[in-house]
Amino acid sequence: MRTFGTIYMGLASLVLAMPIVVVCGAALNSGRSMFFPPVDPTFVRFGEFFVSEPVWTAALWNSVIVAVGASILAVAMAWPIAYLLWSTGTKLSKTLAGLGSLPFAVPPIVFGVGLGFFWAFTGGLGEIWAGVISHAILLMALPLVTISIGLQSIDRAHLDAAATMGATEQVAFRTVVLPQTIPYTISGLFFVLVLSFNEFIVIFFVSASSYATVTLQIFNSLRNGYTPTMAVAAITFLTVSVLVFSAVARWGDLPRLMGADQSRK
Amino acid sequence: MHGLELKGVSKSFGNTRAVEPTDLKFAKGELTALLGPSGCGKTTLLRMIAGLEDPSVGSILLEGQNITALPAHKRKFGMVFQNFALFPHYSVRENVAYSLTIGGVDKRTALDEANNLLETVQLGGFGDRRIGELSGGQRQRVAIARALAQEPEVFLLDEPMSALDAKLREEMQVELRLLQQKLGITTIVVTHDQREAMTMADQIVVMSNGRVEQIAKPQVIYHQPANAFVADFIGKANFFDGVCKDGGVLVGENFLQTASNFRTESPVRIAIRPERAFIDFDPGANRVAAKVMFVRDLGPMREYHLQSDIGPIIVEHAAGETNPELRNGDATTVRLPPDALQVFPRYEAA
Amino acid sequence: MTVANDISLPDRVQSANKTSTFPAKSVLLGFLTSAIVVFCVFPFLLVLAISFGRKVDGAAWVWDFTLENYQRFFVGVLWPQEVTFLYLQQLYYSFYFAVIASLLAVVTALPFTLALTRLSRRAQAIWLVFILSSLSLSEVFIVMGWDILLSNNSGLPKLFKETGLTAWLKEVGWFQTLRDWGLANPRNVKFKTSDFATILTMSYLVWPYAVILLYPALSRLDPSLGEAARTMGASRWTVTRTVTLPSIRLPLMGTTLLLFVFLLGTYVSITVFAAPNKHTTAVAIYANIRGANLNAPFGATQAIILLISASVCLYLGHLLNRRAEGR
Repeated sequence: MRTFGTIYMGLASLVLAMPIVVVCGAALNSGRSMFFPPVDPTFVRFGEFFVSEPVWTAALWNSVIVAVGASILAVAMAWPIAYLLWSTGTKLSKTLAGLGSLPFAVPPIVFGVGLGFFWAFTGGLGEIWAGVISHAILLMALPLVTISIGLQSIDRAHLDAAATMGATEQVAFRTVVLPQTIPYTISGLFFVLVLSFNEFIVIFFVSASSYATVTLQIFNSLRNGYTPTMAVAAITFLTVSVLVFSAVARWGDLPRLMGADQSRK
Repeated sequence: MHGLELKGVSKSFGNTRAVEPTDLKFAKGELTALLGPSGCGKTTLLRMIAGLEDPSVGSILLEGQNITALPAHKRKFGMVFQNFALFPHYSVRENVAYSLTIGGVDKRTALDEANNLLETVQLGGFGDRRIGELSGGQRQRVAIARALAQEPEVFLLDEPMSALDAKLREEMQVELRLLQQKLGITTIVVTHDQREAMTMADQIVVMSNGRVEQIAKPQVIYHQPANAFVADFIGKANFFDGVCKDGGVLVGENFLQTASNFRTESPVRIAIRPERAFIDFDPGANRVAAKVMFVRDLGPMREYHLQSDIGPIIVEHAAGETNPELRNGDATTVRLPPDALQVFPRYEAA
Repeated sequence: MTVANDISLPDRVQSANKTSTFPAKSVLLGFLTSAIVVFCVFPFLLVLAISFGRKVDGAAWVWDFTLENYQRFFVGVLWPQEVTFLYLQQLYYSFYFAVIASLLAVVTALPFTLALTRLSRRAQAIWLVFILSSLSLSEVFIVMGWDILLSNNSGLPKLFKETGLTAWLKEVGWFQTLRDWGLANPRNVKFKTSDFATILTMSYLVWPYAVILLYPALSRLDPSLGEAARTMGASRWTVTRTVTLPSIRLPLMGTTLLLFVFLLGTYVSITVFAAPNKHTTAVAIYANIRGANLNAPFGATQAIILLISASVCLYLGHLLNRRAEGR
């Protein structure tokens, strides 16, 4: 059973890694078309993606703006809802948390279509700030979950202890609740950051072709065939994901965030 | 004289009464133990004293001043929690200095004060440790130091020994009592462990089902329990149900003389401590025939488990006393001295 | 006592809130509520409202209340003279690809996740980083990778040809079978366009999600249950069949449903890998709203029908869960 498990995990990860490896390898091609294994390997494409080709640098910049903006906004909205849910558990807070997670639970194309109409009426269609808000709303469910997990991990006795030592509700929040939930808040922020970076459908509908993120730019270029520069984008994104999730694993409790049983180590 | 006083304090959660209306006085500088089985309302009572819970009815007075409406953070009674509730994101020293730093005391002064307190609880040099690096006993000392940092008028401890192992528990009970006497601080300890209460307390409050059953000094609680519940909960006791007759109690066919009594024909329950009953072959009054079921030799004492005419009885003989050599199945007689028999009223279908 | 504590907590917090209610709190609450309603609920209502709208010539549309779009979806625009089930067929393919791909993902992710939960905490964290990274990788990149792997002049077909596998397949006669399945042209194997490639990519897309969704339930499995069954003489397979699978039946079904709903809206994989006659509702929605057709009300109608289908499936799953728990 043990060996079977190991072999199966190995095989699965091989299949999982296959297209990623292929894309990464293709980035090294020197010509204009993609080959695997790469023909005449070079790193020139990296320069194109990050520095010299305005189409890609603009797209990368847009991606960064949307992802960073959306992650901060999503956390800023999720915090009060999660705190309300945890401290009062009222019906209103439950409803807010439920509705806030709704966009993430339905097929993204439906929410994309809805936001497309919404921004067309409110004048945000094709504006990058509308893209930021759209992603923040779509992905708010993630910090909502991680912050709630963090709040639930606080021992209520800690709040009582703070109170018996003279801490008001505000002081206890600042000295007990906030420091203990910071890792979970940052995890939530990172999840939004990475998923927003890679999101395609919703930003596709709300950008209305007036600006392009990297994923959009790649989709737009699909018709003209692949270029190795696109593969560089893929490598960049993958690296960001690995770095971010490694950071979460290093400074937060990743298995717990993913819902692992706490009693077993 | 009275430091803290509860007047008619009670607490209900929905339809359930957690604490029945209670009057209690906690003398200044004394240690009181709230003792009872789990679910008896003692922790709720403690939390009301701390201000973490609002009484449904009644008032709490400190030095004659009504503090019922005062929230916990204004009362600032130092409290030690069951699992100590030490903040994992602060160092040991920062934990102890917490009440001072949030109270606006200059940071350096606060940390110096924390160092002094850590010395007092014999943890000097541990100030920079993380909470996770401490043993259970060390954590408890930190929790005590932290609660004392604000020089509270009342010191509260909720099952402070429950997270410690048995040996450490006994040591810490003595140590805590000595510290409390040195500081002369009014202290209330919640516990379900009668040894702990007897070791530390000037006064014991026995509770069950949200009701105070008896308030007395430890020796009185043991030797003169107010009712059958207290007799059963504190130490061991044999119980027999009977009916009052002139000068004694009729248990089944057997008549037992007792020192105190109730109205004739009233139903009663009598209790006797195992060490106050004797195995005795001499003829005379207050003796019942019994058969040995099991003998347990515990070193300092020997226990005889007997099946008598009036029900099962456990008799304890200390080592060194005349210890009859009895085996399982032997027939014998048990003497129940009249002054050792305690008589309590019995409520049918209670 | 613990009971009393549990009951008391919400009570206390609420009373504390009552005493310290200051306007900032209610202002924040009001702001949050309106933001949630405007951004999370309103867009869906807008789609619903527009689905009853009417297209006017000249690539625009007007508000209306007509059921024409819904009629068109189910029986075609010329009904009752002429009936076409084109749009229903698209919905059918949405379901077809999503069902098979989600089942495939869950079935293959289950043994992996089981093995994962038996590793040390540290090893689990490392694997989770890998899984999460591939989970977050954009659909665009995944399609790109598989496209290179499956395209006719590179990747696997090339590998088949160069290693002589194609020739061998022809020799033993299995090549003809592949041709019958549409996975080969006269010269070599061919994976684009095919159902195989579509389902493979879609399955790959949600596979990390399957692991992440199954992980909590599986990591809570009590290994002593299986051990107890083993001491009573059950073989490994019997343990899996009689203990492990029944105890994770609910998370299994829940995961499959969630992945299925997610896959209903897949867009990029379908456009690249599926044959044009097997395109799905999601592709049609795109064509109507952003693409060539420019018929926003009909696109909205299709989105609503997709949403309703997804909701019905989620609700049925919820009912099944409830019934299973009630037993």
